[in-house]
Amino acid sequence: MHLPAARLLLALLLPLTATAQAASELTVYTYPSFASDWGPGPAVEAAFEQQCSCQVNFVVLESSGDILQRLRLEGDSSEADVVLGLDTGTMDTARKTGLLAAHQIDTSSLNLPIDWADDLFVPFDWGYFAFVYDTEQLPNPPASLEELIAAPDDLKIIIQDPRTSTPGLGLLLWLRHVYGDQAPEKWTQLKDKILTTTKSWSDGYFSLFMNGEAPMILSYSTSPAYHMAIDKTDRYQAANFAEGHYLQVEVAALVDSSEQKELGREFLQFMLTDGFQRHIPLKNVMYPAINLGPELPDVFNKLITPSETRYFEPAEVAENRRAWLDEWLNAMTR
Amino acid sequence: MPDFTRAPLSQPGWQHWPGCLFALAIVLLTISGAGALFWQAPALDIGDLWASRYLRSVVLFTLWQAFLSVSISVLLALPIARALDRHRNFVGRALLLRLMELSLVVPTIVAVSGLVSMYGRQGWLTVAIQEWLPSMSWNLYGLNGIVLAHVFFNAPLAARILLQALESAPSSQRRIASQLGLGSLWLWRSLEWPSIRPVLPGIVALVFTLCFTSFAIVMTLGGGPATSTIEVAIYQALRFEFDAGRAALLALIQLLICGSLWWLVLRKGLNTALVPDRQLFISHARPDAQGVRKLLDSALLAAFVLFLTLPLLAVLARGLPGLADALMPSGFTNQGLQLLKATALSLGIALPAGVVSVVASLLILGAKPGNTNTPISRLLETSAYLPLIIPPLVLATGLFLLLRPKLGIASEGLALVALINAMMALPFVMQLLRGPLRNLDPSSIRLADQLGIRGWYRWRWLHWPRLRRPLALGLAYGTGLSLGDFGVIALFGSPGNPTLPVLLYQQLGSYQINAAAGTGLWLMMVLLALFGLFNLVGRPPIKSQGLQAPKPNQLETSDA
Repeated sequence: MHLPAARLLLALLLPLTATAQAASELTVYTYPSFASDWGPGPAVEAAFEQQCSCQVNFVVLESSGDILQRLRLEGDSSEADVVLGLDTGTMDTARKTGLLAAHQIDTSSLNLPIDWADDLFVPFDWGYFAFVYDTEQLPNPPASLEELIAAPDDLKIIIQDPRTSTPGLGLLLWLRHVYGDQAPEKWTQLKDKILTTTKSWSDGYFSLFMNGEAPMILSYSTSPAYHMAIDKTDRYQAANFAEGHYLQVEVAALVDSSEQKELGREFLQFMLTDGFQRHIPLKNVMYPAINLGPELPDVFNKLITPSETRYFEPAEVAENRRAWLDEWLNAMTR
Repeated sequence: MPDFTRAPLSQPGWQHWPGCLFALAIVLLTISGAGALFWQAPALDIGDLWASRYLRSVVLFTLWQAFLSVSISVLLALPIARALDRHRNFVGRALLLRLMELSLVVPTIVAVSGLVSMYGRQGWLTVAIQEWLPSMSWNLYGLNGIVLAHVFFNAPLAARILLQALESAPSSQRRIASQLGLGSLWLWRSLEWPSIRPVLPGIVALVFTLCFTSFAIVMTLGGGPATSTIEVAIYQALRFEFDAGRAALLALIQLLICGSLWWLVLRKGLNTALVPDRQLFISHARPDAQGVRKLLDSALLAAFVLFLTLPLLAVLARGLPGLADALMPSGFTNQGLQLLKATALSLGIALPAGVVSVVASLLILGAKPGNTNTPISRLLETSAYLPLIIPPLVLATGLFLLLRPKLGIASEGLALVALINAMMALPFVMQLLRGPLRNLDPSSIRLADQLGIRGWYRWRWLHWPRLRRPLALGLAYGTGLSLGDFGVIALFGSPGNPTLPVLLYQQLGSYQINAAAGTGLWLMMVLLALFGLFNLVGRPPIKSQGLQAPKPNQLETSDA
């Protein structure tokens, strides 16, 4: 990360003027769908700007992984005050960079399926990974992972690659949590039902699933909420698996090098209020991190309720990810 | 002094240095980009990496699918280009050419969706095949799909460049061939082969590199991790494991394989472009464009048109509802306005990128003195292909490390995106310009030398008439590639306003499937309009040519 000579050279060659940050600007790194017009970004921004008399700037990076990557690349001279959009899969790696600061805010209002006590990361939403299916193509979906794995090979599913995609990694952890060391074997049995393994959720959902290529795709248990509330169709539903579902918690954190930690903290605290959270269910299509009470859209009551929450501690994920990925690769390429 | 005024820009240095500097800058940027990664993680074990069974299988598979894709693309492109050259006046030819140009620059996610709705499990064609030929089984996912998609993207590109080369065949020879009534085989030997031979190795290398570094297509249609490419491994190392050293090493393997191919190709390909090209393209009746041949050509072209347009029609069908919603007066305030804003921003980045890529290509091509083939001149040309070989992620990450002090904010960031886009487009634009620029015959050059046509005037009167069309096409490709780019802009981060592809991905991420399909269609239409427009600009004013551009014709006639 330290290239003083080369940097100096390029700094001389390309004198890009330094844009000094105004005192009341809060820069938030996030992923595209959060900041888009359909995402919660604009509404959240407006609500916070009303209370803070500051300006919120979203810098949009390609994905959750890129937020972390960008933070690492920038080191302690990052422009970000807050990073929003990391998750339980990348949390531990982010922690180890040492680039984040303690949030010091009150998180007692959190309403998650697990207990949360973390001095760096504040959850802003959560969801379960699930297989979403097309009720017209598949009226009777498998009722468990076991049934899916044992299903005849003409049942096709679309998954995402755990090396490039968050839900993809989620499925890997899900199987690992349910089957432990038996997971590779189960993958081998699942293999012939996998129509294809896409790079990202969007590739699979847009190009394949919505074109009717397979009746099931790895997604979130909350995906049907969007289809029901906005598209006004009950056609796409999530299959409730008896073994329980793997949990993803999306988090935000304060950047240590930020010169406006107070404003950043204010934002994080604001994140756990109705003003922020009411935009989460239908705009980020995830569960809100606090209890919204009657403000939670009705469709969320129609979603599946997993019998068990599957979850690895972030540190355990970080420790084993490489080995589990290699295991998966071996099972899939055998 | 009054009797001797120097033509502007006629110093020999003006021809040489800018191009050399450009090439050097690209080499430096690439080396420093990859180097920055190595710097981060010095401890590397090459043996360890190579011993990995998985990695070896990935390299072998990547080579195999790229080989298949190139072979089929080029074997398909050759007859298509010949047929298009033989028949220059059929209805819809211009539109077909624009569609061929389009295939390369359509964002993969849009095109793949189109391909899937044709050839997928529920695709029109698959369903039809199952209806009529139940015994035939067709599965898109796997090597099939990868090669099919690569052919879809690259065969039109290859055919377009080949056609460009065929059209630059000397018209005097065409005239003679026309008068002698040469048969197809003879035409091939005397006219066609000499014109395409100089560009063919470059096309092969270009398509090979594109297929070798293909990423999203291979993953979406490949079926599973058994069909990965090196690029996937690089992405994984960089994005998820922050293993910069491993990423750089993998990039190096890719660089070695593709780079050596380019090196070989450029060594073979450079000296052959000595066919005389005395005149602008003027349509001469082809003696072999009648009878059975005509029928065959029609059938071939019809099949190709279907192959090309059906997936695009699927994109059209899928995108129309969303686009209609956006452009309806009722929805216009939000969605439509955003679409237009994104279009404006995209064009604001893409047009300068296109111009820069064309100018840089010309300078680099022009910097090579004569037809010498020294290592330096080869290096000069290879440099332009580096952006294609170095994975964008590695390049961009490396550049980010280097340029980082202040980036990603507003206009500077966008300027950098345009610059990198321009660099990415160089290989394509150079491929289009190389032939026409090199095909200048020695006697024209000698004549121009004798008449003292130098510097600016040389560009204006000797090169411009021949380069007009290729330049316009190069500009269209450069702009189009930048317009469809998602990777670079996403890496540098886009504050606030999205470009068209970013908008598309935002919509996808927010379940706006219909709106996304509409944006995809809109992007395609903008690209089509762009190619159409540049084609109009590039068309030589044929009727009034003798009046408007006397000098080239004088060159022509004085020699005849």
